[in-house]
Amino acid sequence: MSGVDGVAFSVFLFLFLLVTVLGFAAARWRRATSMASLDEWGLGGRGFGTFIAWFLIGGDLYTAYTFVAVPALMYAGSVVGFFAVPYTIVVYPLIFLFLPRLWSVSHRHSYVTPADFVRGRYDSRPLGLAVALTGILATMPYIALQLVGIQVVLEVMGIGTGAGSWVSKDLPLFIAFAVLAAYTYSSGLRAPALIAFVKDILIYVVILVAVIYLPHHLGGWGHIFSSAQHSFDSYNADNAEAIKAGTASGKGSIPPAAAHWAYASLALGSALALFMYPHSVTGVLSTKNRSVIRRNAALLPAYSFLLGLLALLGFVAIAAGVKVTNAQQSVPQLFENEFPSWFAGVAFAAIVIGALVPAAIMSIAAANLWTRNIYKAFLKHDATPAQEAQQSKLASLLVKFGALAFVLFLPKDFAINLQLLGGVWILQTFPAIVLGLYTRWFHRWALFAGWLVSMVYGTWLAYNVPVVGNPGSHFGGPLSAFPGTDTKVYIAAIAFVVNLVVSVGLTIVLRAANVAEGTDQTRPEDYTADVGDAEVEPELDPGAPAHA
Amino acid sequence: MTETPPRPAGRTPRGPWILAVVLLAPAVILPLIVPLYDSTDPTLNGWPFYFWFQMALILMSGVLTIAAYLVVTRSERRERVRDGERTR
Repeated sequence: MSGVDGVAFSVFLFLFLLVTVLGFAAARWRRATSMASLDEWGLGGRGFGTFIAWFLIGGDLYTAYTFVAVPALMYAGSVVGFFAVPYTIVVYPLIFLFLPRLWSVSHRHSYVTPADFVRGRYDSRPLGLAVALTGILATMPYIALQLVGIQVVLEVMGIGTGAGSWVSKDLPLFIAFAVLAAYTYSSGLRAPALIAFVKDILIYVVILVAVIYLPHHLGGWGHIFSSAQHSFDSYNADNAEAIKAGTASGKGSIPPAAAHWAYASLALGSALALFMYPHSVTGVLSTKNRSVIRRNAALLPAYSFLLGLLALLGFVAIAAGVKVTNAQQSVPQLFENEFPSWFAGVAFAAIVIGALVPAAIMSIAAANLWTRNIYKAFLKHDATPAQEAQQSKLASLLVKFGALAFVLFLPKDFAINLQLLGGVWILQTFPAIVLGLYTRWFHRWALFAGWLVSMVYGTWLAYNVPVVGNPGSHFGGPLSAFPGTDTKVYIAAIAFVVNLVVSVGLTIVLRAANVAEGTDQTRPEDYTADVGDAEVEPELDPGAPAHA
Repeated sequence: MTETPPRPAGRTPRGPWILAVVLLAPAVILPLIVPLYDSTDPTLNGWPFYFWFQMALILMSGVLTIAAYLVVTRSERRERVRDGERTR
């Protein structure tokens, strides 16, 4: 354990222990008579107001994705690395337009998950099951990204770099993971909600210092941009042959014409996928009324601005002369080099806690999906509240172990590819959910077939992408050539097009053949209902049957 | 004044929603037209065009979304007053 900075490590450990204590103590916060129900464990007693909900939803924005994964792409000179910015621009107008309708119909019919809605809208249990399973599966690589973020911070601190066996290498990650799993298990959603306060304060302090002090200290943004460009140019000159042979990627900061479709499809695909994730939907549905969603959509672009600056920390690291072989270590290494020890410790803690909170929220949301839409819908109709809570607790552990499997068995040079793989899957629920908010034209079996075909096809495409310079490897990136062309496009978008073609084509066939399309539970006016209207539940009751 | 009757279907007028969609359209479409901004020049204070233009798009989308929010919220409030419901 040589090379560990004692001060930075002590500060880090103190903050980590602080949130661990908070995580376990959270079970007593806003104390309930019993934690043995899904209401209490999975939704924090449903007593959260707009303020706490805002912290929780905001928690999905600043994660290891922002601090580690996106700057890593910029540092490595990926020409599409800045796509996270158009992604977060595009996503809020879409939230503004689509989600109020989902809010309204969910509150009129007591739907808690998107799978509830799909099942009620199309009178189809298989389709609801498909949406639920996809949500659980797609959440795992997203959590895996958070774990990778934790791991690189630990490595930069000098812990977990033991060269020998995987035990000494991955043990600290397992410890952090076990702590997360333990307090999520015992405290449920209260744990991340309470820790979110600490996390947000730490993160805002670190962000502001990083994006104001560092560029100023390093000669201004103009110098930073030119250093990055210079570094990419000399890399390209030194490796011209390898780049030509395809065993290395050329570096750059602006996408050339050939990468325009990749850039735009990564942005749009990620934006459409974001609010299909179980944890986003849960957050949105927990709001008080339709206006809260729109107000958030109008205010959240402020955060995109900071996200853009954080992405550019990859360039700042280049300008500061940070040399790391794993690009994901660039920002933590930058903090270690440029900040005084104690503040580097604060920054490390901010990143690690900033990864633990969303990981906890995501695993809880996925676990609720399991309990509501699979366990209760298919396995045990008459489950008691205590049994439901127990199922969710166990499922939250399983989801996290699934995430750990993604970390251990998939390439993690660029963890953002894990999140993008999740996007490939979750986007395939879009036709059933979002198109379903506007029209009942699609046939339930056509949507199911579109989902199935695009899931298999998208996974197959992703499986066949090798890591650059390592032929025969798998899941190496998010891009693949659009069928019939040489143009690289985000795999989620390719699979989505296939999904739409199958859904539309089969709907025409099935309608012509008069195949039963089930009874729609919802009425047109349900989609514009607001608080104060008849039959609108002010708060959703997850204990109520999905079919109100 | 004992019971609020259920509102009729399609009560929300389409005009404000169309206006909101028109307001939001540039925020969705512009960032996806990469050829529009894939150049270094003109730079702004050392920032290549590619970077400062996208940062400017964030500000623009914020303004447009707030405008759309005001349009939709005010129209809904007017509707509620007209229908004689309590405003929140």
